[in-house]
Amino acid sequence: MLRRFPIRYRFLAPLVVLLALVVAYPLGYSVWLSLTDRTITRPETSFVGLEQYGSLLTNGGYGTAMRNTLVFVVFAVGIELALGLALALALQRQRWARDATRAFLLTPMFVTPIAVGLMFRFLLNGQLGPIPAALGSVGLSVDFFGTALALPTIVAIDVWQWTPFMVLLLLAGLESLPRQPFEAAKVDGASAWLTFTRVTLPLLRPVIAIAILLRALDAFKVFEYVFATTRGGPGDATDTLQYLIYRTGFQFFRLGEAAAMGFVLVGLVLLLVTILYRTLLRQEARA
Amino acid sequence: MSRGRGTFVAAACAVVALPYAWVLLAAFKGPAALNDPGRLAFTPTLENWREIFSAGVIGSAGTSLLVALVTVGLSLLVGTPGAYAISRFRAGGTATRFGILLSQVLPPAVLVVPLFLVAFTLDVRDTPQVVIASHLTFVLPVVTWFLIGFFDAVPRSFEEQAMIDGYGRFAAFRLVVLPQVMPGIGAAAIFGFVLSWNDLFYALVLAGGNAKTLPVSIAGFNTFRGVELGAMCAAILVSVVPVMLACFFVQRRLVRGLSGGGLKY
Amino acid sequence: MHRSIAWLALLLAALVLAACGGGDDASDGGGAGAGSTDPAKVKGTVRAIMEEVPDTDVVKEMLPEFRKAYPGVDVKIEALPYDQMRDKIVSSFLASEPTYDLIVVDNPWMTDFAMGGFLEPLDERIAAVQGYEPEDFSKPLRDIADVDGKTYAVPFYNYALALVYRSDLYEKAGLQAPKTLDELKAAAAELTSGKRSGIAMQPQKGYKIFEEWGNYLLAAGGSIQDASGKVTLDSPEARTALQTYIDVYKASAPDNSLNWAFDEAIRSASSDRSAQLISYNWTLPTVNESGKPFAIAEVPGGRAVLGAWYWGVPKNSAAKDAAWSFAAWVTGKEREKARVIAGGAPVRDSALDDPEVWEQGLGEDYYKTVKAILQDAAPLADGPNAEEMINVVGNELNAAVAGQKSVDEAISTAAKNAQEVLDR
Repeated sequence: MLRRFPIRYRFLAPLVVLLALVVAYPLGYSVWLSLTDRTITRPETSFVGLEQYGSLLTNGGYGTAMRNTLVFVVFAVGIELALGLALALALQRQRWARDATRAFLLTPMFVTPIAVGLMFRFLLNGQLGPIPAALGSVGLSVDFFGTALALPTIVAIDVWQWTPFMVLLLLAGLESLPRQPFEAAKVDGASAWLTFTRVTLPLLRPVIAIAILLRALDAFKVFEYVFATTRGGPGDATDTLQYLIYRTGFQFFRLGEAAAMGFVLVGLVLLLVTILYRTLLRQEARA
Repeated sequence: MSRGRGTFVAAACAVVALPYAWVLLAAFKGPAALNDPGRLAFTPTLENWREIFSAGVIGSAGTSLLVALVTVGLSLLVGTPGAYAISRFRAGGTATRFGILLSQVLPPAVLVVPLFLVAFTLDVRDTPQVVIASHLTFVLPVVTWFLIGFFDAVPRSFEEQAMIDGYGRFAAFRLVVLPQVMPGIGAAAIFGFVLSWNDLFYALVLAGGNAKTLPVSIAGFNTFRGVELGAMCAAILVSVVPVMLACFFVQRRLVRGLSGGGLKY
Repeated sequence: MHRSIAWLALLLAALVLAACGGGDDASDGGGAGAGSTDPAKVKGTVRAIMEEVPDTDVVKEMLPEFRKAYPGVDVKIEALPYDQMRDKIVSSFLASEPTYDLIVVDNPWMTDFAMGGFLEPLDERIAAVQGYEPEDFSKPLRDIADVDGKTYAVPFYNYALALVYRSDLYEKAGLQAPKTLDELKAAAAELTSGKRSGIAMQPQKGYKIFEEWGNYLLAAGGSIQDASGKVTLDSPEARTALQTYIDVYKASAPDNSLNWAFDEAIRSASSDRSAQLISYNWTLPTVNESGKPFAIAEVPGGRAVLGAWYWGVPKNSAAKDAAWSFAAWVTGKEREKARVIAGGAPVRDSALDDPEVWEQGLGEDYYKTVKAILQDAAPLADGPNAEEMINVVGNELNAAVAGQKSVDEAISTAAKNAQEVLDR
C-alpha cells in the first residue's frame, strides 16, 4: 500500500504527521486568537479581524522592540558565527585533551538561560560584581547596564551562551566534509588560507547557512537575559519583541493582541529566512 | 600558527570558565558571604546543597532528562528521513521546508495558550508527556533544519555511485549518506537536547507541579525577596556537570563512529 | 521500504503512549451548605497557589494546627516565585474547570480579577464568621479589596514601603530620620563616603522604579489618580518628585546602578556598601542579619506607597467553603497574632498593638512605626489594568533617570499613557 507513494513522501510523512499532531490545533487557535480581542480579565470576546495587526503599525513600543530585536540578532549571530568558525577550525586540529576541551566549551549551552541572565546580572553589578571590581582596580568604570551599553551587554551574554552552538554545528560540519578535496589541495601545494577560502568555506556553505538560520531564529526569542537583567531598560534600550509579547499576554492579560504581535514577527522572520535561504543556499547550488 | 591556535582555545576556555568559577564559589557560600557575591574569603557551607536536595532539584533533573531524551529521540526518528527528503527531493516544495519552522518561530507566550487548553481538555496537565509534546513544537523543526544542512553538504555523487553499485535508494541512504552525516546527527541531538533541557516557559505553564523540570526549579530560586544565589548556583552545577560528562562521551563516540563505520566514497 | 513503515508505527505507538498517561487531579470539592464554616461540617481539598516567600512558609507551618481545627479540610499549598505564580494563575483562568481553590492576589490585580469574574464576593461569608472583626484590618488595606462596593478578598500580608536606615551612621552624623525629601537628599549626600553610598536605589524600569518613586511623589504632595480614578500625574509636584529622585540618584546612589531592583539594594545595604534604602518594612530582620544596626522609619513626607497580598477564592472552585474556612481561619485575630510573632508581615491593628507581639517579635518601635505607615498609606495603584499602568509610568521614569528624556517630557508622557491604559 505504502509502496505506491513516491519514496520522497515516505521519507517525509512521519515528520509531517507528527508535527501536524502537535502544532496544527495550537497554530490554528493562535491565528483565531490574533483576530479577536480576547483579554483574560474580560468575560466577553469579540472578533476584530485584522484591527490589531493594523494598530501595530502605529504602536511605537512595538517598533522600538522590533528594532532592538533586529540589532540584537544581527550582532549576536554575527559575532557568534565569526568566533564559532575560528574556534571550530582551531579545535578541529587540536589533538591534546581534544574531547575534554570540546565538552567543556559546549557547556554554556546547558545552563538554563534565566540562570545565565541572573548570573551575569551579579557578575556585572557595579558595586557587588567581580568584573566591575577587576576593571575598577585598573581605574575603569563601565556602566554595563547603562543606556549605551545595555544592549551590547545583552549581546555579550548571548555570545557567551551560544557561541558553543556555532562551534558544535561547524565542527560537526567540518568533520563530515569529504577528504578528497583537501588531499587534492595539499597535493597542489595550496596555502592554508587558500585551502580555507577555496575549499573549506564553499564546502561548508550549507552548514554555515543553516547555522546562521537556526541561531537567528533562536535569537529572535531573546527574553530571559532581558527579563533577568534590565527588564527592557534603561528607557526602551533593551526592550525586545518576546518580552513585549510576554508582557502583553501574560502580564497585561491581552492574549489576542499578543497573538497578533506574534504573527507579525512570524511573517517577518519567514521573510528573512526565505531571503537568507535564497542568497546562501542557491549560490551553493550554482557553485 | 599552532601556538596562536592554542592560545586562542585557551582564551576561549578561560572566558567560559570565569563565570563558572564564580558559580562554584557561590554554591558554597552562606547568606552573609552572598550579600557580597564577589567576595573571595568566606567559610564554606553545604547549606545550599542541602536546600537543593530538599527542594527536589534532583528529581527535576530526572524529569528534564526524560523529557529531553524522548523529545530528541522522536525528533531524530522522524526528522532524519524528513530532512533527507527535503534536501534531496525537495519534497513538499518550499511550503513544507519553511512551513515546519512556523511553530518554532511563534512566541511561546502565544503558542502556550492553546497548548494549555488542549492539555486541560485531554486531562494531561502536569505530565512529562505534555511537556514533550510542547517541546516537539520547536525541537522537531530545528533538528530537521539542522540535518537539511548536513544532507545538502553530502555530494549527490555519493549515492549515485552507491546506486550504480547496486544499492537501493534506502540502502544508499542508510549505508552511505547516514554515516556521512553522523557528526551532524550527533550535533543535532545535542542541540535538540539543549533546547528541551533549557525550556522554562512551556514546562512552567503546562507542568509546574509534579512534572517540574530543572529550569523551572532553578528559576524557582529567583524569588520576589531576592535571588537565592547559593542554591541557584548549586543547581546550575547540578545541571552542567552531568551534561558535560555526557558531551565528553558523545563527542568521543561520534568521532570514533565516523572513522570506523560506513562505506567510504 | 519496510523501514519507513516501522518508523511510522513506532511514532504512533509513542504518541498513543503519550496520550494515555493522564493526570489524576484530586478535586473532591463540595462540602457542607453554602457559607458554612462549622469546623465539623466543612470538607474538601483546597488546592492553594501562593508566592514562594517567607510569609508563605509561616502559613505552611500552621497547616497541622488548621488540620486539627478542621479535620475535614485538606489544604495543599503550591508555592512558586512571583512571575511563575502569576503565569500559572493567569493560565488557570483560561480553563473551564478550577485549577486552584484558593489564590493569593497582589493588589494591582484586584480590580481586574474581580471585574473579570474570577473571584467570589466574600461579604456574606465575612459577616458569617463570628468574631472576625474585619474593621481590625488597616483601612487602606481593606479599601484595596473593595471593588464596586463588594469585598473580594481578605488581607494576607502588607508590603508597605519604609525607610530602612543604618541607625549607627545616622547617630554618628548627628542626623534624624528625614521628614522631607530635602532632608532625605541631604542625609544621603552626607552619608556618602568612600566605598559606601548614601542610599541604595531601585531605578529598574517598570514596577520597581514606580514603587520607589511613588514615595517621592506622595512626599512632594502629588498623586497618581484622584478619588474618581482619573490620572492626576501631570502636575508640578510630580516633576519636583522626579527631579529630586534623579538628584538623589546622581549624588548618592551607587555608580552604574540603573538596573538595580530589590535584590541589589538589599545586598548593598547588607554588605555595608549603602547607608539606607527605601524598601519593604519587613526587610528589617533581613538587613539586620548583617550585624550592622538598621532601623525603620516612615518614608519622608509620612505617606508611604502600600502594596499588599490578599486571599481570594476563585469563583469556579468546587471547594469554596473549605477554601474560605482556611482563609478565615488564618486571617482571624488569633492566627494573625501567631503569624506575626512567627515573622509574618502584619495586617491587623490588634496584632500591631499587642505587647506580646512586641516582646516576642521585633520590638515596640518597629510595630508602632508599621502601624503609622499602614494608617495612611496609599495603594500602589487602583482600578483596572493597574499592572500595565504601573509599567507604562515606570518606563518613563526610568527613561528620565537614564537621561533619555527630560523630566517634563517623561511626566507628561507618563500621564498621557497612564490615562490611555486606564481608559482601555
